[in-house]
Amino acid sequence: MKNDLTLRTRREFLRTTVLGGALSWTVPTFLANTFSVLQSEAADKATQVATGHDSNILVVLQMAGGNDGLNTVVPRTNDYYHRARPRIGLSEKQVLTLNDEVGLNSSLDGFKDLYDAGQLSVIQGVGYPNPNRSHFRSTEIWQTACDSERIEKYGWLGRYFDNTCNGCDPTVAVNIGRQMPQAFDARHPKGVSLDNPQNYRFISPEKARAGEMSSAEDSFRKLNQPEEEMTENSGGTIEAIHGPARQNGSVLDFLERTALDAQVSSDTIRAIASRSDNKATYPQSQLGNALKLVGKLIGGGLPTRVFYVSQGGYDTHTNQAGAHDRLLKDLGDSVKAFVQDMKGQGNMSRVMLMTFSEFGRRVSENASSGTDHGAAAPMFVVGNKVNAGLLGKYPSLAPGDLFQGDLKYSVDFRSVYAGVLEKWLRTKSEPILGKKFAPLQVV
Amino acid sequence: MLRPLPGDRWNFTTAAHLLNRAGFGGTPAEIEKLVRLGPEKAVSRLVDFESIPDDTADPSWAKPDLNRAERFLAARRAGEEERRKLQREEQQEQRQHMMELRGWWLQRMAHGPRPFQEKMVLFWHGHFATSVEKVREAYLMWRQNELFRRLATGNWLELLIETGKDPAMLVWLDQAQSRKEHPNENFAREVMELFALGEGHYTEKDISETARALTGWSYDRATQKFAERPFLHDTSTKTVFGHTGNFDGEDVLEQIVAQPQAARFITAKLWNFFAGQPPSDELVTALAAAFRRAGNNFKPVLHSIFLSEEFYAPTIIRNQVKSPVQWLVGSVRVLERELPPPIVCFGLTRNLGQDLFAPPNVKGWDGGLSWITTNNLLARYNEAATIVQGDMSLAAGGLFPNNPTANMQMERRLKNIPAGRVEVGKLFTEKERANKEALIAALEKRLLQAKLKSKQETTLREYLDGKTELDDTHILNAIRLIMSTPEYQLT
Repeated sequence: MKNDLTLRTRREFLRTTVLGGALSWTVPTFLANTFSVLQSEAADKATQVATGHDSNILVVLQMAGGNDGLNTVVPRTNDYYHRARPRIGLSEKQVLTLNDEVGLNSSLDGFKDLYDAGQLSVIQGVGYPNPNRSHFRSTEIWQTACDSERIEKYGWLGRYFDNTCNGCDPTVAVNIGRQMPQAFDARHPKGVSLDNPQNYRFISPEKARAGEMSSAEDSFRKLNQPEEEMTENSGGTIEAIHGPARQNGSVLDFLERTALDAQVSSDTIRAIASRSDNKATYPQSQLGNALKLVGKLIGGGLPTRVFYVSQGGYDTHTNQAGAHDRLLKDLGDSVKAFVQDMKGQGNMSRVMLMTFSEFGRRVSENASSGTDHGAAAPMFVVGNKVNAGLLGKYPSLAPGDLFQGDLKYSVDFRSVYAGVLEKWLRTKSEPILGKKFAPLQVV
Repeated sequence: MLRPLPGDRWNFTTAAHLLNRAGFGGTPAEIEKLVRLGPEKAVSRLVDFESIPDDTADPSWAKPDLNRAERFLAARRAGEEERRKLQREEQQEQRQHMMELRGWWLQRMAHGPRPFQEKMVLFWHGHFATSVEKVREAYLMWRQNELFRRLATGNWLELLIETGKDPAMLVWLDQAQSRKEHPNENFAREVMELFALGEGHYTEKDISETARALTGWSYDRATQKFAERPFLHDTSTKTVFGHTGNFDGEDVLEQIVAQPQAARFITAKLWNFFAGQPPSDELVTALAAAFRRAGNNFKPVLHSIFLSEEFYAPTIIRNQVKSPVQWLVGSVRVLERELPPPIVCFGLTRNLGQDLFAPPNVKGWDGGLSWITTNNLLARYNEAATIVQGDMSLAAGGLFPNNPTANMQMERRLKNIPAGRVEVGKLFTEKERANKEALIAALEKRLLQAKLKSKQETTLREYLDGKTELDDTHILNAIRLIMSTPEYQLT
């Protein structure tokens, strides 16, 4: 019954829009915009419109808390490294060699496999000028891609959507989690946020019998279905509590469209999540589960351009060693499973995954066998077409080259964003990032 | 040229509109009371709140911490292990206090004696958008909140000066770090761009000169108070808006308020907050003139706004998206229930995009349509179940994004917190509860102060018809259903 209703609803939309030719206010925003999307596509071939089932997909993975880059991509032969970290520095056998100078933390064996297969690029020394060491502020800087002295209202991905797909399907951006990331903040906000497809819906107060919809849910759907005819109720005035006020383009109008968008995307996501299978086994972790869901949604053909997942716990001030290794193990294994899943689906060539963290950590360990907030750190980019290997320059660890005990960045993170936007999402980066950054050759 | 509201337009709809916008809404009985008072007295009842006694107690911890300097010293002397422990304890205490503070303020909005004053505090909080994420001390956030309360409808220059000297603001916009050798321009810039004039009404030079004049305004961490430090103050001459002199902080703020644009900027923002739409150019001119006539005092202008025909235009009434706080507090008020515990309220509003004392940035919340996305519209629909039925199954964590373990613990704890529920018997008469038509009419009057579309009424009617008896469970479900409509998100 649930699916029938969706289909019927969709058929109605199509009848009143495409076939009927009239774009009335009852149409969900994204269907109404199919037309303008097609037009803008024709008008500007340089910009790939952010919708459609066959386009490239970006998965952003946030390592929240400030990942210790030095124990992730390890300058294994560097004396300064071992001197600064007598207790938590990694020895030769705790490192998987990448070249004469650096190696991966051995917990990242999943990443090493991807590296060897030419599917991983390691961008070294990523940061930004005048680094800020507050979690709150530095995360904001990464999410909004602004200079550290400036406040920027919208997120970089939000600006990407504002620039390329005003009015497309809300599922064009999907965050796995409870809180929408600031990166999605936009003039015209897009995206859905869910930790569990079963929660991304109207939760009925009544239990339904198998295969049926509860009467509360049925009523809910009807209450949220805009009326077909604008003329109904048009005689009412608000003064006498007589009928609802309605003007075309009113706030209520906007709310009704959004409600319809919500319902359609909720039905779509749940339908896809229940019928789609994964082609790999994921670790039983929060990150593993999040990527598993992303895998299902991609496999089921959700027209999403950007997925966002996060893994917390990187704020390792005390007794870092075991905790950090476990996080990296989870990271490497989850991402590797995701790659296998994509390969099994035949979607690997469409997918790029990019990691980031708000900052790296101090070069020197602290007295609690942990590390404090620092600056530059590596990013990882995963995909079939990525420019595999080591990119950027590992910052010098020589005490004279540090800034207040921190690594100096060699790659501005906005060059990485510019590379992703230009080379992968195929759009001009300058209008999105606010100025010109030389795009890093990520693919 | 604000036209006065004609007396014959004062009725249940317009009185409800006043109470919704100049407060957080109310029950049909409260609205009827305002109708009986007539517009002047009704507006005065809300706006001239000083005559209403307010015996709300301050939070127990809301006082200067006398042992503060000592504790800092102890922490500095302690070994690293011990220092971290002390830091953790301090953070935990601050988090606890912030939670209490949010609850304390929401309680004032929901059940305090002066709803309009709290609405103004909410306006100033959004305007001066200071976040605890940087300020990090609950006591300072409370002090700023109290400042907004004290000067809620007062004089603009006085409020600007006091806000400039407010410890939370001094920390938030780095004025505390400004010195004559390196003036920090953060506060000077935002005062012009966001607080008083708006972009395009000042030059970069005005900003740097203002920043120099403001040097010397500082913050004393030991006493948690504003400190004027002459040795940090730049005493050379400055030129701001074409005037040259040896200005200090108060002088430049005075000049800012004297700018013709200043009156237009702040009255337009007030109108937008209360009316839900930006004012026409003509209207701003009228508001700004009234503000100047009132000697830059807000109260007379607020009186004029709430007694103007423009404020009660059909395009204004029920055409504003409720902010998450308005949604929560308003719902609790019309449903005549207590607020859920602070931690639950925190989760509810944060999930909808409004975390009190932590606006997203110094620009504050965008408000309006930006409150609504597919995502948080569904969240509003589901959170209605928490308010109506006390359903905590969807309670959101997300308090500790860096710490998944703490998050999980928090979510588990949340699920066991009783959120309270609505008592149907309080809201509807026996007669209403026995008759579906009467019940639907009463639901509409209470929850929307307007009618649903006839098709929606039919849907509700069919829902209730499908039940063998009209018991409380189904009435609660009907309330939840109305709260799960686009219409309920409007005020």
